[in-house]
Amino acid sequence: MSENGYIIEGRDLVKAYGTGRAQVRVLRGLNLAVARGEFVSVMGPSGCGKSTLLHVLGLITPADSGVVALDGEPAPDGEGGRAALRRERIGFVFQRFNLLNVLSAIDNVAISLRLRGQKLDGNVRHLFEWMGVAHVMRRRPAEMSIGEQQRVAVVRALAHRPAIVLADEPTGNLDSENAEALLALLVNLNRQFAQTIVMITHSPAAAAHADRVVTMRDGRILHATS
Amino acid sequence: MGNLPLANILRHKLRSVLSAVGIGIGICMLVTLSGLARGSLYEVADRWESVDAELIVYPRIWGDNVTTLSGVGLPDRRIVHLPEAHPDIVIDAVPAFLWRMELAGQDQLVVGVDSAAEAWKRLTGGRTLIRGRWCEQDVRADDGRTASQWLTETLLADEPDTTPPGESPRLPDWPETQPAGAPRHDAVLSMRHIQAQLRQRGGFELVIDARLADAGGYHVGQTVRAGNHDWRIVGVVPAGGLGRVFMPRRVAQFVFGSGDIRVSTLGFVKLRDGVEPGEAAARLTDATRQAVQVRQYRHMLEEKFGVMFRYVDMVNVIALVIAFLFIMVTLYTMVLQRTRDIAILKACGASNGFILRQVMGESLLLTAAGLVAGVGMSFLAAWGIETTRPLLTVTITWRWLVTAAGVAAVGAVASALYPAWRATRVDVAAALTLE
Repeated sequence: MSENGYIIEGRDLVKAYGTGRAQVRVLRGLNLAVARGEFVSVMGPSGCGKSTLLHVLGLITPADSGVVALDGEPAPDGEGGRAALRRERIGFVFQRFNLLNVLSAIDNVAISLRLRGQKLDGNVRHLFEWMGVAHVMRRRPAEMSIGEQQRVAVVRALAHRPAIVLADEPTGNLDSENAEALLALLVNLNRQFAQTIVMITHSPAAAAHADRVVTMRDGRILHATS
Repeated sequence: MGNLPLANILRHKLRSVLSAVGIGIGICMLVTLSGLARGSLYEVADRWESVDAELIVYPRIWGDNVTTLSGVGLPDRRIVHLPEAHPDIVIDAVPAFLWRMELAGQDQLVVGVDSAAEAWKRLTGGRTLIRGRWCEQDVRADDGRTASQWLTETLLADEPDTTPPGESPRLPDWPETQPAGAPRHDAVLSMRHIQAQLRQRGGFELVIDARLADAGGYHVGQTVRAGNHDWRIVGVVPAGGLGRVFMPRRVAQFVFGSGDIRVSTLGFVKLRDGVEPGEAAARLTDATRQAVQVRQYRHMLEEKFGVMFRYVDMVNVIALVIAFLFIMVTLYTMVLQRTRDIAILKACGASNGFILRQVMGESLLLTAAGLVAGVGMSFLAAWGIETTRPLLTVTITWRWLVTAAGVAAVGAVASALYPAWRATRVDVAAALTLE
């Protein structure tokens, strides 16, 4: 636990793509801190840097400058150390679910656990039940509805009990009914298990489920509301 | 838990099958061509080693490698006197006249051997006839003499062999072989007369081995044309003896040795028990006669045809390189198509080592399937070759199967290296944001 109580922080984050005149500065000295057990939504127009922020916080992409700290500890620069932190501390939920199509639901979760040196156990089955997808455990993604696929993706993100769940437009490809169900699950997760969640979304309705909504524009935090 | 490389392979069945077949063809070429080249050669070596003798003696001038020898070589006298000259080490010495005749579509080793049972037994490795009889046992001439006896008595009766050791004996004059009243120096008539004599004395008779009989569809009693003569097949012996074709030595000497029946090609020497063959060979070697161990023949073949092995091995290497280039392209394509999956794994924290192992695993699984297919195809090819060309031998040995497996494993790893490296370089953020 960090001294300031933040489980994840981005300090003065700068990230640009391209070079010279083609360079696009996506993050421009952005600061964001998320407390343990907090559910934060990040909103903003397309191209404002939301997904890049998530990738930088999730240690997928290194920032050009600035610091990402987990529990107050700055993340290492090397890919090896960053991958290790991703394995231990972070769970991702993506807009396109990003399940491995060649594996069944249970095997998608199992391979994620194997990366973390863990094995399938009874808790995973409970998680499938809790998410309402126990009946599709043996099915491949192509044999599931999109709602089921997204809930399986959440199971995969949670199975190793990450400190933080980073969700990138998790309801973006869902119909309103499935979106609402998923958001309810995320809220329950946050309320019941004090799971820290950072969710990128375009939808004000989805964002409204969070404890705090952060609005971005042009690579910076515009304002935050609780 | 699901195995990701296996799942990926099963997901793309056609591509996987084609890849495995590609490797299989390479493996099959390696095993079959090596098996064919070495099998056919070692089958010859096995046949020479089947002879019940330890040494071969031949003219020293022929050098150290006598794998392709045939025709006139060592005077009989230099062979048959060995038991008498070296009674402490030699039990028996059998002269043999070697020649080649085309039968069943390819050249066959013809062995001219004395009609004495002991000589047949020694040169056929003790094999007994499975059909028919030995040569020269159907003598229809009034005097009852066999072709060999008649040739010997007609051509050598008044001419004791006084040729110094190491020199070729002088040919007998044609007139001695002509019937009374025939025009002198009429070689054609003379040959006709001699051939008629040989024919009625069991001279133009052959014993063939079972493999040649199968390959040529030959049977006992059949007359075949070879070496400008008609021969009657009178017996079939199990395969594995020195030659595929046996005939009376005197006839072979006369017909293929320009009429000189005092010179054979070489001699096989049976040593007494306990005699060290190397030392015996040294003792029997002199200024004009070379003695080598029968078991050296295999080494001679390897030396003589080593170039062929290198050629075959080179063809195999090319086939395998092509097969594994195919695998590399396949894996590379798969990596390009699967960047999203790789990005997912990396987002979940997969290390580069894990990604590398997945690609390697896929390559090894495809190669293992290719290996199984290749070995299966090799046995099928061997069966096909030996069925359609019964005189060819394809020897598939554990050594070559293990070699093929080793080469396949190395090839699998090598061909996966670049695609695996590319997989570790996948840009996770870019791959995951691609819509």
